[in-house]
Amino acid sequence: MVRFFAVFVVLLVVMFTAELTPWAQQFFVVPWTNALASIATSIVTVFDGNVIASGKVIRSLSNGFAVSIEAGCNGVEATLVLCAAILAFPAPWRHKVVGMLIGIVAVQLLNVVRVISLFYIGQWDFAVFEWAHQYVWQALIMLDVLVVWLIWVRRVPRLHDSSSPPPAALTAA
Amino acid sequence: MNAPLLRFVLVTLAWLPVTFAVWYVLAPVILFPVQLLVRAIAAVAWRDLITAIESHGAVLSFVTTLRPGETHAGGVLTVDVNTLLYAFGLPLFVALALAARQAPRWRAILIGYVAMLPFIAWGVLADFLKNIAITAPALVASQAGFGPRERDIIAFAYQFGSLILPAVVPAVAWVLTHRVFLERMRAPREAATRP
Repeated sequence: MVRFFAVFVVLLVVMFTAELTPWAQQFFVVPWTNALASIATSIVTVFDGNVIASGKVIRSLSNGFAVSIEAGCNGVEATLVLCAAILAFPAPWRHKVVGMLIGIVAVQLLNVVRVISLFYIGQWDFAVFEWAHQYVWQALIMLDVLVVWLIWVRRVPRLHDSSSPPPAALTAA
Repeated sequence: MNAPLLRFVLVTLAWLPVTFAVWYVLAPVILFPVQLLVRAIAAVAWRDLITAIESHGAVLSFVTTLRPGETHAGGVLTVDVNTLLYAFGLPLFVALALAARQAPRWRAILIGYVAMLPFIAWGVLADFLKNIAITAPALVASQAGFGPRERDIIAFAYQFGSLILPAVVPAVAWVLTHRVFLERMRAPREAATRP
């Protein structure tokens, strides 16, 4: 457990630092955030045609209300946390890759729901929007990350390295 | 998702509105230790910069020695920081702990609460420093006396303290205080797949 948390923290700091570099922002974070705005807008336009995306901004043509998807709301940090937790946990590499791919999709799907819900909550009541944006959705996204990780942990085979004590049943035999 | 995990998620979601309501109403009390911690750190690290820290509910007002501009000869700059922005992990942690039903629950909640306080203080202090060193007008930032390297460190501390720590720390605290629950959740599947 100590080794897992040490590796998790190191990976998280390294990946987060890499994310903040201009290169990562230009070629990964900004394109992804713009794509997220486009995906959310494409879904919204199925039932609301008066919505457009411009870069990372989603805007209502009916009332002018707009939301800009900023750092922390694009799901990138949540994805990094999940990937660090999966990479740090002792498991076969094939399980890690599959876990990360499925996990990233799961986290980003909920993040699309977050963006769309905030877009409409903001048009309804700005105080509720602030609450949902700053507190509630942050907690829900991290709960999503934790649940995805728990599901993945439950499915990976346990690795027994030679330095760890053997299971009680084997010792008894 | 298996039944125990699904039940755990649903119970957590059911507890969240309750824990968020209690957290919001009792924030001045719950976050009082954070105020003490922030005051103690500020008194040691930025004694020349901060003359007082006043609390208004969950908002901490940092009274500084910085002058806001040439025309405000007698005034000083005050920076407000909302501690709730860095403490939303508390209701999440408590909801997770209550849903896990691992005894002794209140001991785990207390340990998690105490463990999270320094990280909340990190966020609050980094927010204050970011305000005076980076986002403040040049006149104010120059009075603060931070060099380019220190401003980079403050920027990173703020980003890490606002984007990563408030969400990750409660999850980590919960995993560390609920290892029995995690083992129990993992065991049935392992037993089922064992030849």
